[in-house]
Amino acid sequence: MSLLSYIIRRLLLMVLVLIGVSLLVFTVMMLLPPGQRVAAYVTNDRVSPAQMDAMIAKYGLNDPAPVQYFRWVRNLLHGEFGYSITASSPVIDGFVRFFPVTLGLVLFSAPLIILVGIFLGTLGAVRKDTPTDHFTRVFAIVGYSLPTFWLGLLLMMIFYGFAGIFPPGTVSNDVRNIIYGEGYHQYTHLLVLDGILNWRWQVVGDALYRMVLPTLNLVVINSALIMRLMRSSMLESLGQDYMMTARAKGADRKTLFRRHARRNAMLPVITVSGLTFAGLMGGMVITETIFDRKGIGWWMAQAALQLDVAAIMFNVLFLGTIYVVINLIVDLIYAYVDPRVRLS
Amino acid sequence: MGTLTLAETQDLHTNFYTFEGVVRALNGVNVVVQQGETYGLVGESGCGKSVTVRSMMRIVQAPGRIDSGRIVLFLNDQERARGIEIVQRTETYMESIRGSDISMIFQEPGAALNPVLSVLEQVKESYQFHRMEQMIEETLAAMDAERSRRRRGSLRGAGAVIQAALLRKELAATRRFDERVRRIDNELYQLETSSDTRSEERKADLNRSRDHARPRTGIVAVARRIPFLRRYRRRLDATVRAHVVELLRTLGIPNPENIVQRYPHELSGGMAQRIVIAIALACHPTLLIADEPTSNLDVTIQAQIVELIKELKRTIISSVLFITHDLGLVAEVCDRVTVMYAGDVSETATVRELFRNPLHPYAVGLLASVPKAEQAEELAMIPGAVPNLIAPPTGCRFHPRCPRRMDICVREKPDTVEHTPGHWVACHLYTGKDGGHA
Repeated sequence: MSLLSYIIRRLLLMVLVLIGVSLLVFTVMMLLPPGQRVAAYVTNDRVSPAQMDAMIAKYGLNDPAPVQYFRWVRNLLHGEFGYSITASSPVIDGFVRFFPVTLGLVLFSAPLIILVGIFLGTLGAVRKDTPTDHFTRVFAIVGYSLPTFWLGLLLMMIFYGFAGIFPPGTVSNDVRNIIYGEGYHQYTHLLVLDGILNWRWQVVGDALYRMVLPTLNLVVINSALIMRLMRSSMLESLGQDYMMTARAKGADRKTLFRRHARRNAMLPVITVSGLTFAGLMGGMVITETIFDRKGIGWWMAQAALQLDVAAIMFNVLFLGTIYVVINLIVDLIYAYVDPRVRLS
Repeated sequence: MGTLTLAETQDLHTNFYTFEGVVRALNGVNVVVQQGETYGLVGESGCGKSVTVRSMMRIVQAPGRIDSGRIVLFLNDQERARGIEIVQRTETYMESIRGSDISMIFQEPGAALNPVLSVLEQVKESYQFHRMEQMIEETLAAMDAERSRRRRGSLRGAGAVIQAALLRKELAATRRFDERVRRIDNELYQLETSSDTRSEERKADLNRSRDHARPRTGIVAVARRIPFLRRYRRRLDATVRAHVVELLRTLGIPNPENIVQRYPHELSGGMAQRIVIAIALACHPTLLIADEPTSNLDVTIQAQIVELIKELKRTIISSVLFITHDLGLVAEVCDRVTVMYAGDVSETATVRELFRNPLHPYAVGLLASVPKAEQAEELAMIPGAVPNLIAPPTGCRFHPRCPRRMDICVREKPDTVEHTPGHWVACHLYTGKDGGHA
């Protein structure tokens, strides 16, 4: 039961964090003149200056900041997030449209990033100073130092440009027709999952096909850090005294590496993996832009460029939540793996 | 002398290939442990005590390597005549004797236990690696006994039949695997010791098939992964657990059922050291190597651990190799003792003889530097420090610090001579080669 109370306490703490985040975001937004902030309430393109002033008055955009803050929070709690000009729809509709695109790619690539990082890192440590080790180290350094956009463009040029395979975008036009056609239900808005639920394998295949390049891009760039960390942490635990004890009791190599070293070496990797996962949720601006996938990252970039206040506020709050929740999950995993950590 | 040798090293050279150069940690070490004795290895930090015993178990850590010399074990009657030479043996063979015939306990009990595994998981491994056959047989026997007590035909009875069948399968698989590894290993050993150059290909073949040999194949490998069928493992685990608890109890650990569930950070230093000892003793080894087992413990706990080792020496283990830099401890527990200096064996004698009549100037200095209760004057000390072993001193490695240095000491490494029966010393004062004082 102490676990449950721990989780509840952490979730209550999350509310405090979100209040902090919202204050911060709100303050930044208040630096904009009311004429720009009113955009969150404008739902069509043709608005005269007089109408604008009327709206500013109506929504109280000239009121004192605290009044406006509480009004904004009250609206949030009522589920009114405002209108997003970049999505040309209410913010919540835009979120439902863009978020699944991001989530689909993250769910597909994050496990790969973590597994590749852990696997190559372990391999490098176990075969220290062999060609395998040197290869993984070079791979890590190259991956870590390559700019995301450069590798993305390169992949795009080679595969789509020259070979004509792995096109950008989330789905082909044919598939889009299926999705918006008769008898197709978008249960989750995740293309792969919906495809399976609707028994339309063409959707699943096409969605996966178009995720190959962005995933490759993300894996090369993001697994480097995990790989380096795993290697050094594995080497550290291989040098510990308890490894000597394990060898002295007659453990074979497999048991030594898997049971005794890797479990200890995983500890720092868990933390970084969680952060990587959270970072991907909101930070794939470049990858999404290059591969023409209209997800959260792409939307955020558009919103920032066009001062789409409502969209920015909502997404920042959303990312804050994601970070807090993922950190909580990381702490729970950590406590499970490392008995020295007490949840209290 | 009528005593039987249990383990000996002959002209052992172990070097560490570091970035700065080759550290010549052992410079031809000869050590003999006899059946039934407690044998001490004494010297300053860095003199090669730990490297010697790690070489004997072949667990020298990279970048260290045994470069030449022989290590011969006379563990059981079959091998009594010739002994087994383990430098040439395969790693799999070493895995089978480590923890089973030779075990080791370590200096820092806190660091010697894996922080993320419970006491049970860590002690259990000793049985899992070496006593699996016995464990399965006992589980089967327990199940038989249980069945004869209960009426036949019940549903639980049917489950037990399946479990017993799987256990028998596992037993057969374990035996097959052990037999196979032993066979491959023996053939490899034969090839290794023969000078047949055409055997390289066969050796590679054998190595490959050994690496690919899996302890469990077929039904057992599948059954282990299926939740319902896996239940038979629980019975096996219960047997192993009972053994672990019993072992901890014999080591005088209070409330062992509770302790096995704990993690190392929840244990005191003395308790952790008992667990380390339990791991080492699980399979009743012939030789226990204790690498400064008490240096990091409180004095009262030290005494308890030393008592425990002495007690175990009487009941379970045949011989103990005791490493320490504490001469008081040597006097208390050891029968014979070897003094090491900078990778060389300086002097070997019975404890009485060494304390009464030390021959090597280093041993003399070491004994003089032990504080005594009635002592009034300043404590004697050996000037200088242990040399850098990347470029060790020529000749006798002790010569730069030796109060009785002669010309020959700089030029020539002294041979080990038997000064009086059972009292060996490696010093030019006793080799008869007098080069005159420097």
